[in-house]
Amino acid sequence: MSNNAGGASLWRYGAFRLATAVLVLIGSMALLCSLTLIIPGDPATILLGPRATPESVALLREQMSLNLPLYERLFVFFANALHGNLGVDVISGRSVATMVVAALPNTVLLAVSAIGVAVLIGIPIGCYAAVRPGSLLDQALAVVSVGMVSTPSYVVAITLLYFFSVRLGWFPVLGAGDPGNIPDQLHHLVLPTIALAVGWIGYIARLVRSSLLEILGEPYIRTARAYGQPEWRVVMKYALKLACIPTVAILGVGIGELMGQAVFVEVIFNRPGLGSLIFDAIRNRNYPIVQGGILVVVALFVMINLLVDFAYAWLDPRIRENLGRARARGGA
Amino acid sequence: MPETLFLKGNTMSYELSRRGFLAGTAGAVGGTILGLPWSNVLHAADGRVVVRVEEDLKNLDPAYRSGPIEVNVILAVGQGLVKFKPGTTEWENDAAADIKQVDDKLIEFTLKEGLKFTGGYGDLTAEDVKFSFERFIKPGPDGAKVDYADDWAALDSVEVTGPLTGKIHLKNPSPAVWLIALADGSGVIISKKAFEALGDKFKTTPIGSGPYILKEWVPRDHFTLAINPDYLGEKPAFAEIVGKPIADDKTAQLALQAGEIDFARIDPAVAKDIASAPGIKVQKLSAIDYVWIGPNIEKKPFDDVRVRQAIRKAIDVPAIIAAAYNGAVEPAYALEAPGILGYWKDAPKNERDIEGAKKLLEEAGQGGGFSTKLTVLSKAVAQATAAVVQANLAEIGIDVQIDALDEGAYWAYGENDASKDLELVLVEYRGKFDPGFQTQWFTADQIGTWNWQRWNSKEFDDLHRQGGIETDPKKREQIYIDAQKLMDDSAAFWWITHNAYTFAFKDTLSPGILPNGNQWQYASFKAA
Repeated sequence: MSNNAGGASLWRYGAFRLATAVLVLIGSMALLCSLTLIIPGDPATILLGPRATPESVALLREQMSLNLPLYERLFVFFANALHGNLGVDVISGRSVATMVVAALPNTVLLAVSAIGVAVLIGIPIGCYAAVRPGSLLDQALAVVSVGMVSTPSYVVAITLLYFFSVRLGWFPVLGAGDPGNIPDQLHHLVLPTIALAVGWIGYIARLVRSSLLEILGEPYIRTARAYGQPEWRVVMKYALKLACIPTVAILGVGIGELMGQAVFVEVIFNRPGLGSLIFDAIRNRNYPIVQGGILVVVALFVMINLLVDFAYAWLDPRIRENLGRARARGGA
Repeated sequence: MPETLFLKGNTMSYELSRRGFLAGTAGAVGGTILGLPWSNVLHAADGRVVVRVEEDLKNLDPAYRSGPIEVNVILAVGQGLVKFKPGTTEWENDAAADIKQVDDKLIEFTLKEGLKFTGGYGDLTAEDVKFSFERFIKPGPDGAKVDYADDWAALDSVEVTGPLTGKIHLKNPSPAVWLIALADGSGVIISKKAFEALGDKFKTTPIGSGPYILKEWVPRDHFTLAINPDYLGEKPAFAEIVGKPIADDKTAQLALQAGEIDFARIDPAVAKDIASAPGIKVQKLSAIDYVWIGPNIEKKPFDDVRVRQAIRKAIDVPAIIAAAYNGAVEPAYALEAPGILGYWKDAPKNERDIEGAKKLLEEAGQGGGFSTKLTVLSKAVAQATAAVVQANLAEIGIDVQIDALDEGAYWAYGENDASKDLELVLVEYRGKFDPGFQTQWFTADQIGTWNWQRWNSKEFDDLHRQGGIETDPKKREQIYIDAQKLMDDSAAFWWITHNAYTFAFKDTLSPGILPNGNQWQYASFKAA
């Protein structure tokens, strides 16, 4: 009965979160379109350059729908987006959707690999620090972790490039590798991944350490120990699972931040990803690309957060129970 | 159950990822050690030159190009009647077998035989010349004037007198037409047939008869120029020119040092570091740009010439060059750069004179000083310049606030009469080889667009107009010198430098660069 109530509430919760996600998407795009009205610099003039005639500037404004009221622009943009049409880069005539689709895998690959590396390195460091709190190594790891968190990714990127590309010649500086050549792409991925992951390694390590320390003091852990379970099993099987819950939640939110950091890393490594695409487009006020790119990033961000929320709800029995109680109260 | 699934899945993915990661890392490191082909050895001596370009290509239609990066490709793929001799501002025949100025308003040409457009678009004929040039003076497909219409402002018509012969009729004498139009991007002959067949794709699919073809263009990653097998002239030295868009100067520097690119324009401040790297050569080229600071002379107190003179006396140009340019450029004293017709070699070299500046401010009733705003681009050199000026003007009691803007916001001052809100502004314009190109931005009809000082001199406007139609080089030179004297008298332009470009490249390469530093003749790149 309680399980059914929890399950149904989860569906309601899912529907609610989906509706919120759509609203977030619309709201963020509306905000973005409004910003184009506030930020100085006429996109048409900037795109066409100082030699452009007033006639071609006027025409470009029309092509970019800049002469339409905000609500109308927004409506046209979403109506087209629903048909998979994100507009056209007015200068090159290329489809924005094609440009975004070409850039997206590079950014997703970078973000996923950075998160992956951060998790793979950050969790063991956090565990190690938690099971030996106050030890010399714990203190050393704390210093290293904080150092990692506070080092900007672009500083790491330049340093890595200098040592591993220029001095040692181990890794390439530019690009994402030849399309279809997986070893080459992996080769190009190593340094950007490390540059992006460094801050997250420290962050995850600190997070896991504090969560694990808290959980290791719980009565059920004491019980497990009392049953004679080996310490590694107590930590890995019983404590770490729950200690990872906050990490999972943070990673969802962190994707947005990661996308922001990816811009610097992509610019420095000259990777043709979504971050650098949007960065260049903002610089040039190329709004069709900005809008298309941001829509995809926001959609990605919302989707990941949605998945994390669902995972969080599935994972944590307290949340399911709360949802079930809420439904029961609503029914009464 | 879902909880278990999640945890198992999580665990599984952890293990697989870990293995994958370890395998990937080991592969990458191992591959490196074992000598997998990596970028810095890929293009060594294989007939390919990798060039850094600051931006990706946008529009390869000569009439709508957005800058020199595109011009360099357009001129490599296409041919004009004439072209610049490698590394000079003199021209030589290109598609023309013969071309001559018959009188002030008539140019006759005969094309070389057998010139063919790539892509199967047939022979290059006088009809194509007519189409290519006259489209600059006709409304474009959208009904609007084309972007580079001003380059051919003097054109009246092109008369086709035979398959390979024609006459270019000018509305008025225009010596500038040779340097600004015929030898430059606006003089490239396009295929009428290709233009009509390709429609909107023409701007990304250049069709020409020049030394190279655009073999590949992967947006935001690279473009590749390959030798045009049908080109009738001297074959280029390199089979391929690869252009890589790299926005960040530091990345370009590292890529050059790592051997991934062969040629790049670099920040002059790092020239010494790069020059010390083995196998890399650095070349400095004095440019023909014009960088200056100026006031909006419609605004008080800058409407008083004594205030303008005082500030000119207070600004320490050598200090700016030392601090912002690392001493890599020469100071400028007037609009036209050395080497350009109309260069004013006797232009006054204003020495710094703080006491004189204070005295002028006293006379102007500004002895107590005042506050103002200096608008600059948010780039390192511009901001360093602004910081020096801020310190300089503080010495005479002027409090300068620096307003550093991104490119979009900064260039917005060129629209909707926004420049009326400027107070002081640091400006940098690119030069061309004809002096009239430089003077055009300071005429009264440019107030509200690119004449940000809002300087209005009828005498200057007349000189600009006369210079545009005068065909005697001696008289032209004097006209432009006189125009610059007027600018100097106004004290509204505090010249800083004509810039210098620094290029770094492999010592096995001899690049082809025109004296403006912006135009790179890919077909003239040679092995050193």
